[in-house]
Amino acid sequence: MKIFYLEHLKLRKKTRSWLGPILVFSLIMIAYPLTVEFLQTNLEKGFYSLLWISILLSMMLATEDIFLEDFSDGTLEQTIISNTSFPLLIAKKIFIYWLMIGVPISFLSFLFSLSLTQDFNLSLSIFPLSVVSSYIFLNLFVFGNALSLNKGSVLGAIITMPLALPVLIILGKSVIAIEFGINYVEFLLLLLGILSIIITIVPFIISYVIKAHLE
Amino acid sequence: MIKRFIHQFASPKTYLFQVNKIYRYIFYISLIIYLFSLTWGLLFTPEDFVQGNSYRIIYLHVPASFMSQSLYAIMAITSITYLIWRVKLAAYFIIAIAPIGAMTTFIALISGSIWGIPTWGTWWQWDARITSTLILFIMYLGLISLHNSFSNHEKADKLLSWLVIVGFVNIPIIKKSVDWWSTLHQSASITLTDKPSIDPSMLYPLIGCIIGFFGLIICLVILSSKYQIFKRERKKSWVKEYV
Amino acid sequence: MFEFAFSSVREAIYMNGHGVYVWTVFLIVITNITYFFINYKNKINKIKKKLDASS
Repeated sequence: MKIFYLEHLKLRKKTRSWLGPILVFSLIMIAYPLTVEFLQTNLEKGFYSLLWISILLSMMLATEDIFLEDFSDGTLEQTIISNTSFPLLIAKKIFIYWLMIGVPISFLSFLFSLSLTQDFNLSLSIFPLSVVSSYIFLNLFVFGNALSLNKGSVLGAIITMPLALPVLIILGKSVIAIEFGINYVEFLLLLLGILSIIITIVPFIISYVIKAHLE
Repeated sequence: MIKRFIHQFASPKTYLFQVNKIYRYIFYISLIIYLFSLTWGLLFTPEDFVQGNSYRIIYLHVPASFMSQSLYAIMAITSITYLIWRVKLAAYFIIAIAPIGAMTTFIALISGSIWGIPTWGTWWQWDARITSTLILFIMYLGLISLHNSFSNHEKADKLLSWLVIVGFVNIPIIKKSVDWWSTLHQSASITLTDKPSIDPSMLYPLIGCIIGFFGLIICLVILSSKYQIFKRERKKSWVKEYV
Repeated sequence: MFEFAFSSVREAIYMNGHGVYVWTVFLIVITNITYFFINYKNKINKIKKKLDASS
């Protein structure tokens, strides 16, 4: 519990790291209607693909310096040497990031979807999808950033972007399922399954990768 | 037991000596097979009923796309070997294979899109196969750029092998997911490429091409791993003696 | 099985209009592979020369 609180404090102090991605996300969402002719049908056409891609991009921004500060001031080395479980710490860190960035972005995506389509049920079913997918993206990009720890975040993002593509495909399919009124819950369950695998495996891999960095 | 076996026979020195003995045979035999079956395929097989003469690209396209995937699998196996048993040779292999894999994937993409012009009427289609091959190409480029961004080779090897393993887990998922995605707008023309039954007169040169190309790529891998060994172990005394 | 599929060499290059595609792919594959072979041979020779000079 203490680690949760500490990580939360750490993240809250760096306003740029948690407010930045949320602001970028909402700016993309605001900019979208300006680029389309004001006809309701045109607006809806490309909205969801834009939504998923901007969630992906903002998660990429959010993980930009997740380990950088701890790496440069030696906190990472200390935690590895001490007896605390390192993978668990990483998992908690990612969870806090998701709580502070992923959940607000999902809520915002619900709001933007509601304002654009005026369809309450559709937007309500967008919410769980974006919650789960943002957690998956966060995990993947944290892995990428652990790989390119002090080499800039662009490299890590490029490396891990192909790994995120299946999730995007599933998201696209589930939006179509919602629009046609087919049961979309199975796509949600599929995403949850992917998430449960990723949550358990990725922290361990990240801890190995960071140990390789520090050796 | 396995560990001892690997450590004895996978030291760069013994590898280099063993490989130098057989390299010439592999190279000439596979070159002869490849050129023979290529001329057979390009000039001496009957014309295809549906696609006309443009189907002859199959003899160049299929071996490349076959190799592009199997090279990634080989990379995954070597990186697991490296992470478990810390075999140095495996680490050299990973980075030796990556550029060659990128090359074969590039060939597969380019030849496929050129083949698409006469048969489909378009050079690019967001079809399942093509998209997953493109993703594979981008992954190869990512691997190379990751390795190049670290000056410390051992660290780079470890990170690279982790990325290769995670990427390999993802490859069947990408393949499957892209299949689901493209079923929505499947265009009928694409099914032209997979023929269920291929005539023996076309099949034999194709098999010959695949075997020959495989041999040539193996030779390339041997050359580039040799280069890596020289580059990394140039300070060891046996390398100086060997040269 | 080994019958020449075309009536003349010219026909073999033209291939009913498909020759452009087939032969460009052929050239791309051959140049790529030979380039890689030559490139690696050169690199190995360079390193060997360096090692010779140093020893």
